[in-house]
Amino acid sequence: MAMAALRREGRRFATPLLSSPIRSSLISHSQEQAPNGVRSISTQVVRNRMKSVKNIQKITKAMKMVAASKLRAIQTRAENSRGLWQPFTALLGDSPSVNVKKSVIVTISSDKGLCGGINSTSVKISRILHKLSSGPEKETKYVILGEKAKAQLIRDSKNDISLSITELQKNPLNYSQVSVLADDILKNVEFDALRIVFNKFHSVVQFMPTVSTVLSPEIVEREAEAGGKLGELDSYEIEGAETKGEVLQNLAEFQFSCILFNGVLENACSEQGARMSAMDSSSRNAGDMLDRLTLTYNRTRQASITTELIEIISGASALEG
Amino acid sequence: MASAGGAAPFWRAAGMTYITYSNICANLVRNCLKEPFKAEAISRERVHFSLTKWVDGKPEKPTVRSDPTEH
Repeated sequence: MAMAALRREGRRFATPLLSSPIRSSLISHSQEQAPNGVRSISTQVVRNRMKSVKNIQKITKAMKMVAASKLRAIQTRAENSRGLWQPFTALLGDSPSVNVKKSVIVTISSDKGLCGGINSTSVKISRILHKLSSGPEKETKYVILGEKAKAQLIRDSKNDISLSITELQKNPLNYSQVSVLADDILKNVEFDALRIVFNKFHSVVQFMPTVSTVLSPEIVEREAEAGGKLGELDSYEIEGAETKGEVLQNLAEFQFSCILFNGVLENACSEQGARMSAMDSSSRNAGDMLDRLTLTYNRTRQASITTELIEIISGASALEG
Repeated sequence: MASAGGAAPFWRAAGMTYITYSNICANLVRNCLKEPFKAEAISRERVHFSLTKWVDGKPEKPTVRSDPTEH
């Protein structure tokens, strides 16, 4: 109470001296009150920063909640869709180290940002794959799903991009959409091997970048002669009126569609999970920033009170003595 | 419907891939459902994406595939 009264007294001394507009008066006010050579931030500036940091904290907290709810919705679907490609891997095996002439790298990324580092890791793996699979007679092309990977790959691999697809998540993800997409990719791109790069969702904080390989039927034939899992294909009986080549062709297309569906779902899960943790750390940082700003604000406030007191008391003692 | 041994199935000869064939079959199955489930199922087959072909490092005009049902 006494402090407030003294502060009011100080103000009554100070304000008649300053007739300029409020903001400059506040700034020069604080500058006049401090001893010479010491700069202090005006409390108004600090208060504005605190307000905006608090708003940012609220927004990032809300974004985290939204991402958490979206994650819950999509997580069960992603885990269920794993059952789509498991039979294929059991039948045909997954051979990422296959040596082919034309390989196409399908990079799955998100359209929206603020999701941590998952898109950068996908792009990094895609670039590594590109380097690994390029050579004298080999040709590697990119098919890009999502804006973020497109933005990154445009910078140095413009000539290797074959297709880019955006706005995939406008409607909730479903198999029909991904299968139409897979169909378009198959029609537009020639490939011996398709390598699909996505972030597999292991848990809310862990996303592993994964590569799934789909071979074209001709390459399956070639590898079958080399033995291994594909060599056992001949021991299967083929029903119906189709030849082995046709069955392999259907299987390859369906395999690509299933793997792409699973990849898109897993990547969407990873995106939401990464966004949750990014927004969480952002809220925490905002909270830390707010603490530091509060300390600065209190220090500034107390310093200005102290200098007002000093002025009053020295003025009073000058009058007396 | 059964084709002669070795002949390509009718849809392959028409230029469709297996994916398109299975999508059309799935669409037919979905249309056989009764009303409340049918609306849910139809909502599960909405397609929307925007495809851009790239030639020599330059993107061409994007085509937006937005069919509510299969093509």
